[in-house]
Amino acid sequence: MSFNVQSFIEALRSAFKYAPVTLELTVITFLVSLVLGTVIATVRHYRIPVISQILGVFVTVYMGLPMMVALILYNLLFMTFYNDFATALNISTPISEINPIYIGFFALILGQSCSLSEAVRGAFRGIEKIQYEAGYSIGLSKIKTLYRIIFPQMVPILLPGMQNSLIGLLKASNLVSAIAVTEIMTGALLPSLLYYSYLESYVAAALVYWIIGIGIEVLAHFAEKRSGQYLRRINSD
Amino acid sequence: MGSYFSAERFINVFPKIISCISVNFHIVLWSMLLGTILAIFVAILRLKEIPVVKQILGVYISFMRGTPLLVQMMIAFYGIPLVLGNVFMNLFGINLNRVEPVVFVEIAIVLNEGAFLGEIFRGAITAVPALQTEAGYSIGMTGAQTFFRIVLPQAFKVALPHYGVDFVGVFQNTSLVFTLGVVDVLGKAKTLGAATGHTLEGYLAATLIYISFSLLLKGVFLFIEKNMKNGSAPAI
Repeated sequence: MSFNVQSFIEALRSAFKYAPVTLELTVITFLVSLVLGTVIATVRHYRIPVISQILGVFVTVYMGLPMMVALILYNLLFMTFYNDFATALNISTPISEINPIYIGFFALILGQSCSLSEAVRGAFRGIEKIQYEAGYSIGLSKIKTLYRIIFPQMVPILLPGMQNSLIGLLKASNLVSAIAVTEIMTGALLPSLLYYSYLESYVAAALVYWIIGIGIEVLAHFAEKRSGQYLRRINSD
Repeated sequence: MGSYFSAERFINVFPKIISCISVNFHIVLWSMLLGTILAIFVAILRLKEIPVVKQILGVYISFMRGTPLLVQMMIAFYGIPLVLGNVFMNLFGINLNRVEPVVFVEIAIVLNEGAFLGEIFRGAITAVPALQTEAGYSIGMTGAQTFFRIVLPQAFKVALPHYGVDFVGVFQNTSLVFTLGVVDVLGKAKTLGAATGHTLEGYLAATLIYISFSLLLKGVFLFIEKNMKNGSAPAI
């Protein structure tokens, strides 16, 4: 038993073929949860009664739930209740034709929204009250002040953390392999089902993840440089 | 709906599952203990900036950050017996293929934490102002004395909130070990589900256990943070 280069290359090829699935899971989840997380954080920042308390408790409790447990639980709930649900709503698609990736999306988005909402809440604290007042003073409405003045200023505060959460999400998307979605890791394992070359497959999967991770780091580095530009401009004036 | 979930089965299954939390805590405590020691070395070596070591540590941290823990666990599980199997067989007479999978899980988490905690510690050490080091030198302390008596206690305080978050993260990550056949909380829920045919109660019990213990751990760390003065004067 030794490291077989041939099966390693084959696993690598297979892993790259399924990389779009992982990328799709990562990017779509990230964008949706960024929006949801911002909404949650805004509601909690303005202390809208009842909703903000409910969201506060939900976020705190949900952050205590590991992604793996959440995924398996949702998968099970889906399997158990889908048929009742479908007959109640007259949906004729059988359960076998529904891609389990949607359960993955659901679990990832819910978990990521909670952690991003905490990050956005932190960014809210980094913006001075004067900025809101400046918006109101020139007659902008509350919502316009938010997305024209406050949110753009939050970007440079959020970016360093975003890089970490994006890489974290890339790694978390690996867990959907537990509910039978074929992504990079399971993709890399496909050839090993024939040759029992598990180590080669896992090393190949690690390599592909690593490459994507480095890609994210490079992109984030550029974004960070660009987003800080207006700050430098103000300071140099 | 009644046929899917019954409170009776839930009460029946709950003690059996919660008794497996000891497996999770065994993993968490051992890997945090060894991981912290490894991380201190990683942090110090990174700060020293020794030419070749620096690059190696850079690659190590980048790998640990960029790949999922599950993949790292699998590589440890399949890779270590393959690479070190013969050495261990000849030197110590241990057959690595017979070693419990939980050991490989712990090795993977220790290596992973070495990188993550190493970065946390490095950040914390650099966060201590250089003035403090100079203060140590000015009263005639040696480099090591200054580091251990003045810089490290202050760095500890900076690192503690991050350390707490990381600790809870490791506890949550132990939910992955069932994929290697370790019977932890989630693994027990799965086996009980397979044995009885009623999976929902077991998984709900596991969910409850994970949430409550995570919140508990978080609370403990908040408490420590609040109560740790660590030599600093009270704010007036």
